[in-house]
Amino acid sequence: MIKKLASFIVAILLLAALPKLGLPQEWILYVLLFFVYLAMANMWNLLCGYSGLISLCQPAFVGIAGYTLVILVWIGVPFYLAIAAGGIIAGLFAVLISIPVFRLRGIYFAIGTLVVPEALRILFLLWRPVGGKLAGGGAGYMLRGMGGVTVAHYYWIACVVGIGSFFLMRLILRSKLGQGLAAIRDNDRSAASSGINVFKLKLYSFVVAAFVTGVAGAVFYLYQGYIEPGGAFSIQWTMIPILATVIGGISTEAGPIIGTVVLVFLDFLLARYAGFSMLIQGAILVGIMLLAPQGIMEIGRQVRSYRLRLR
Amino acid sequence: MASEILLDLTNTVLMGLLLGGLYALIALGLSLVFGVMKMINVAHGDLMLFGTYFAYAAMTLLGIDPILSLIVGVPLLSVIGFGIQRYLMSRAFGRSMEAPLLIAFGISLMLQNLQQILWTPMSKGLTTSYALDSFELGGIHVPLAYLLDFAAAVVVMVFLSQFLGRTYLGKAITGAAQDKTAAQLMGINTGRVYAFAFAISMATAAFAGVFLGLTFPFTPQSGISFLIIAFGVVIVGGLGSMVGTFLGGMVLGVAQTLGGFFLGSTSQMLVVYFLVLLVLAVRPQGLFGR
Repeated sequence: MIKKLASFIVAILLLAALPKLGLPQEWILYVLLFFVYLAMANMWNLLCGYSGLISLCQPAFVGIAGYTLVILVWIGVPFYLAIAAGGIIAGLFAVLISIPVFRLRGIYFAIGTLVVPEALRILFLLWRPVGGKLAGGGAGYMLRGMGGVTVAHYYWIACVVGIGSFFLMRLILRSKLGQGLAAIRDNDRSAASSGINVFKLKLYSFVVAAFVTGVAGAVFYLYQGYIEPGGAFSIQWTMIPILATVIGGISTEAGPIIGTVVLVFLDFLLARYAGFSMLIQGAILVGIMLLAPQGIMEIGRQVRSYRLRLR
Repeated sequence: MASEILLDLTNTVLMGLLLGGLYALIALGLSLVFGVMKMINVAHGDLMLFGTYFAYAAMTLLGIDPILSLIVGVPLLSVIGFGIQRYLMSRAFGRSMEAPLLIAFGISLMLQNLQQILWTPMSKGLTTSYALDSFELGGIHVPLAYLLDFAAAVVVMVFLSQFLGRTYLGKAITGAAQDKTAAQLMGINTGRVYAFAFAISMATAAFAGVFLGLTFPFTPQSGISFLIIAFGVVIVGGLGSMVGTFLGGMVLGVAQTLGGFFLGSTSQMLVVYFLVLLVLAVRPQGLFGR
């Protein structure tokens, strides 16, 4: 136990010290992306793996939080506050859209949520929240007034968000909320008849996931420094968490971490073939679903039990 | 002055109704797969767009008329659909609710990327000589493409309902949709029937793809918006009935053209999306559903 804790702390300290080790900046940025994706993947795991909500509206949370960040920084709010505000607005938005989409179950829910980012993209292409000099079409904004903030600074913020999301998952799964969600996942009728408010618990996890996904999205746009509707509400924000969760192993705590490592490594390898990346990632998604639907975690478990049997 | 506005409005509603035919055609395949296999094929829009690009290739490279190219396009898409169901989806069925959905999602991403590589992200259109024609009817201008859409939708729907009602395969598909276990006990190979249902769904998608290309410009990313339209038609029309699908198409078509009339053409899709969310919030079983 103590050994485990110690190695955990060492790992976190190492990750935190990364920008000071003189590594190439590109590597630091990949680790930064890892933390951003990890937070999103953890939240998708919470939704799909533990709450039975196949949410395809993650881009809405990312985009809304990104726009909140950029607009608030634009009018002079410190960026720490703007990141938090992005998460809060995304969470409030989740409450709003839960009115229509929470009437749907299973697959209906998935498609109902798919409508939301598409609608938002059109809305943001038409509507410019603040005036002033803009670049690009529609509501494209540069993040301004960020001079003097170093990459290391962004990295640490991402680090806190990524590792924070992991501990949040642990906390949720061991809390009453997590226990209730597990009961709902196993059998929603018997859970409801044991006094669990199914709607309320699912709503809680939806809002929490929206908040954290929003914060991660805001951190991403802090690093990118530019936002436009096409990218902000892009389907890639759904694809990344799904891929990371499915590759690693859905409904497991370590799955999203392993999956995100694989995904970022793939990003790194495929950077040269950016035009083909979706083709390859789509093929990986289909392949994993057919060959190892429980992801890498399941493969590891099988190998271990195989070894035990040999002994 | 007032009569002019009235005439414009009549024109807009008529256009919406004709467009509704196209929307019903788009939704037909999605509704069939959903009704039979209880699965929403999120790759439906992209597979349909694959048909559109196939017709585009036939037109630009070989000079074949898009509607004529359906002679090859329909069997091609059917075979692809059969393969997808037989070799990919069938393995994921019964495993979990999200497995078929995620596989379809993966196929959708692959197709999107493939079409982008082959045809660039630029907007394209099946611009035949007749696609831009229009004729006048009592002071109302009707584009020929819209009328073709409507006619094609009616023909395909009548054909499909006759097929489902009269042939052995059609009855087997209906049976498997109503009660899988009972159908199996009657000696129906549901695995094969599912594959044929998917193939038929893709055949309607091939039709929808071509008429969509005659009516609208398209990009490799258009698949999602047409998927949402198809889903919207299914939601508004209620599930399972072909008449409902047809009426759902009309409602969405009129909503879109009226939205374009009052709010400008850029926000017309916004009206459609909003309508879908509104129907979901107020009447999730569909306007015409039970």
